[in-house]
Amino acid sequence: MPHSDDHPNPTQALDSEAKAVRPEIFKEMRFPVDPTTILRKRNSLKRELLAQPNLTPTRIAILGGSTTTEVKAMLELFLLAQGIGPTFYESGYNRYSEDILFENPELMSFKPDVVYIHTTWQNVSQFPDLMESEGEVEHRVRNEAARFESLWEKIASKLGALIIQNNFDLPRLRPLGNLEAFEPFGRLHFLTRLNAEFASYAGKHPRFLINDIHYLSAQVGLDEWHGHTYWYSFHMAVSPTATVALAQNVAALVKSVYGRSKKCLVLDLDNTLWGGVVGDDGVQNLILGRDHAVGEAFLDFQRYVKDLQRRGILLAVCSKNDIENAREGFSHPDSILKLDDFSAFKANWNPKPENLREIAAELNIGLDSIVFVDDNPAERALVADQLPEVAVPEVGSDVTLYAEILEAEHYFETPRIVQDDLNRSAFYKSNAQREAQQSRFNNYGEFLASLEMTAEIAPFAAVYLERITQLINKTNQFNLTTRRYTGAEVEAIAEDPAYVTLYGRLSDKFGDNGLVSVLIGHIAGDTLEMDLWLMSCRVLNREMELAMFDSLVEQCQTRGIRKIKGVYIPSKKNGMVADHYLKLGFSAGDETVEGGGWHFDVPEFWPIRSRYIRRTGNPVDQKSVRDAEAVSAYP
Amino acid sequence: MPENQKAMTRKEFLLEMDDILGLRSGTLRGDEKLDELPNWDSTALIGLIVLAESMNDVHISPEQVIGCTSVADLLKLAKVEDNAS
Repeated sequence: MPHSDDHPNPTQALDSEAKAVRPEIFKEMRFPVDPTTILRKRNSLKRELLAQPNLTPTRIAILGGSTTTEVKAMLELFLLAQGIGPTFYESGYNRYSEDILFENPELMSFKPDVVYIHTTWQNVSQFPDLMESEGEVEHRVRNEAARFESLWEKIASKLGALIIQNNFDLPRLRPLGNLEAFEPFGRLHFLTRLNAEFASYAGKHPRFLINDIHYLSAQVGLDEWHGHTYWYSFHMAVSPTATVALAQNVAALVKSVYGRSKKCLVLDLDNTLWGGVVGDDGVQNLILGRDHAVGEAFLDFQRYVKDLQRRGILLAVCSKNDIENAREGFSHPDSILKLDDFSAFKANWNPKPENLREIAAELNIGLDSIVFVDDNPAERALVADQLPEVAVPEVGSDVTLYAEILEAEHYFETPRIVQDDLNRSAFYKSNAQREAQQSRFNNYGEFLASLEMTAEIAPFAAVYLERITQLINKTNQFNLTTRRYTGAEVEAIAEDPAYVTLYGRLSDKFGDNGLVSVLIGHIAGDTLEMDLWLMSCRVLNREMELAMFDSLVEQCQTRGIRKIKGVYIPSKKNGMVADHYLKLGFSAGDETVEGGGWHFDVPEFWPIRSRYIRRTGNPVDQKSVRDAEAVSAYP
Repeated sequence: MPENQKAMTRKEFLLEMDDILGLRSGTLRGDEKLDELPNWDSTALIGLIVLAESMNDVHISPEQVIGCTSVADLLKLAKVEDNAS
C-alpha cells in the first residue's frame, strides 16, 4: 500500500518532551558518520532534529523498485539535519512505474515537490541474451531507457516535480567474469550503457537529477552495498548501512535545489595550504611540491581547492600571519593557488571569528554559506563556538584527508554548473575594482553614475526560470516575504495572466552581475498584491530596487492596476528590508494583519526614480534562447 | 567490535532497545512479548541487528530475529549475558 505521512508543521509533530537541539547531534550526522550509530539512534536523532525552528517544508514522493522504508527514514534524518522538514509519499513495493503510469490518485493529490525514483540494477526489465549482437543490444538499451523516459516525461507533465533518479549500481556477481565489462551482451557493459543514456537525458533536462549510485556503490563497496541477506528477507536492494550513504547523497541533491549548499571556502594557510610556517620558515622552505611526499599531498589539496574555485566556489584566506608573509606564500614556484584566486584575504592577528564576519560582509554572503578549513583544532573550536552558522569540518591535521572530508560533507553539491557560477570569481574581482573606483569619488551618486549601469527588466522569460527558482529558494536577506516556490509553481505563475512578474539583470562597465532581482505579485481587482520581492545582496546600494520599482509601476499602468499592496513578513534574516516599502513611498496599512500591508496608489504619470540605471526589456526571442540554452538553464 | 570494547550489559542493551523502539528510556524490562510492543517492525528489527553486530560483535540474520517471540529471545540471540547488570 502506498503511504503518505503528513506533518505539515514538523515542529508540532514533536514529542512534547523534545528539548532544544544539542550541538552534538549535528556532529553525529557529520563526518565521520558512523552508519551503525545513525541506525541505532534514529528515533532520538529524529526527535531532536525535529525540534529545530523554521524547518523548510518539502514534499517528497519516493517511488521504489525495492523496499524503501529505510531509505525514507534515513533521508528524513539527513534532510532534517539540513533544516529541511520533509513530508513523504511512499509507493508500494516495486510500484514505481505503475504509480506514475496509472496516475495513482494518492500520488497525484500528494503534489510532490520532488519525486525520487529509487531503482537499482534489479529493476532492469531484461538483460541481453548471451551472444546478442551489438546492434541488438543497442536496441535493447534504447528500449529500456525509453521505458524510464516515459515515466520521467509523465512526472514532468502531470506533477511538474523535480525528479531525482538513481542510475544503476553494479551487481555483485559476474557470471561472465571479466567479459561482463566489454562484451556488448555483458550485464556490466549493458548497465554502463544505460547509465550513459540516463546521463544524456539529465544533460538535456534541468529538472532531472541523477543520484549516482554507480559511484556510491563502488565507494561503499559492492559487498556492503548489497548486503544480500536484506534482499532475501526484506527486498531491500541496498543494505541498511549503505542506505545511510545513499540518503546523504540524495539529501545533498535536495539541499542543493533549496539553495542550502555552501558558497565560499575559507582557508587557513600554514599547514593547511602548505607545510610549514611561512613567517618563520620562509617561502623557499615551505613543504609544497612533487619532491616531498607531504609536499605532494599539499599540492593535490591545492589542486582540489583550485577545481572548486573554477566551478564557482569563492575562496578566501583567514590566517594568523603578517599580510606580507601570507601573500608571499603564494609566490612559491609550485603553488597552484595564486593570489588572484581569492575573493577575500584576511591575514592579521585578529581573532578568526572576527575575520570570518568581515569576509562574509565583504562578499555579501551569509555566514551559513561559509566552510572554514584550518588544521589548528583550537581555531576550529573557537569558530565553531562563536559562529555556529559557519561549517567547520573536523579536518584534523593530515593534509591527505582534507579533500576527502570536504567531499564527505557534500558542502558544495550543485544541481547544475552554469555560466553565472563560472563568472562568480570574476564578479568579485570586478567588485574590488568597483570599490576602488568608489574611493575616488566624494559623492556616492557620482560613483553610481560612473558605473554606467544597464538593467534588463522584463516579465519572467522561460530561459531564466531555473535561475529565478534558484534565487527564490536561496535569497534570505533582501527578501520581503521569504516565500519559496518550486520550479513548477514559478513556471505556472509565469504563464498565468493573473500575475505580474519581473526579473532584473544588472550589468555595468566592470562586468555582468547576472540575474539579481525577482518580483511576483497577483492581481486582485484593481490591486496588485506583492507575493515576493527579492534581490541578491551582491548588488546592494546600486539603486537596482528603484529600477525594479519603476518597471513595476509601468507594468501596473499598462495593465490598468490602480494600487499596489506591499507585504513584509519578518524573518530572522530579512531585517534589512523592514522599511523597504516605506522608503519607496508606500503608506502603512493595517498592522493587525499578518505582514502589515503597505499601500501605494499607482499614478497616471510616474517620474522615474532610478537615476543611474538605464533600463531595457528582454532583448531576445525567448523561445529561441530557451532552445539554445536548455542544457545550461541554471544561470 | 574493537578489542577494547566491552560487550553490552543487559541493562545497556535494553536501554538501547528502548531507543530503537521509540520508547521512554527504562520501559523494557526484558520479559515482554514482541507482538505486544507498539513499534516492533522491520525498522526496529534492522536496528536490533545493527546493535547486536556493532556492540556485541554477534552476527545474526533477519530470519533468526523473525523467529523470536520475546525480548528475552532477542537477548539470547544477541548473546547478552542474562545475569549481567
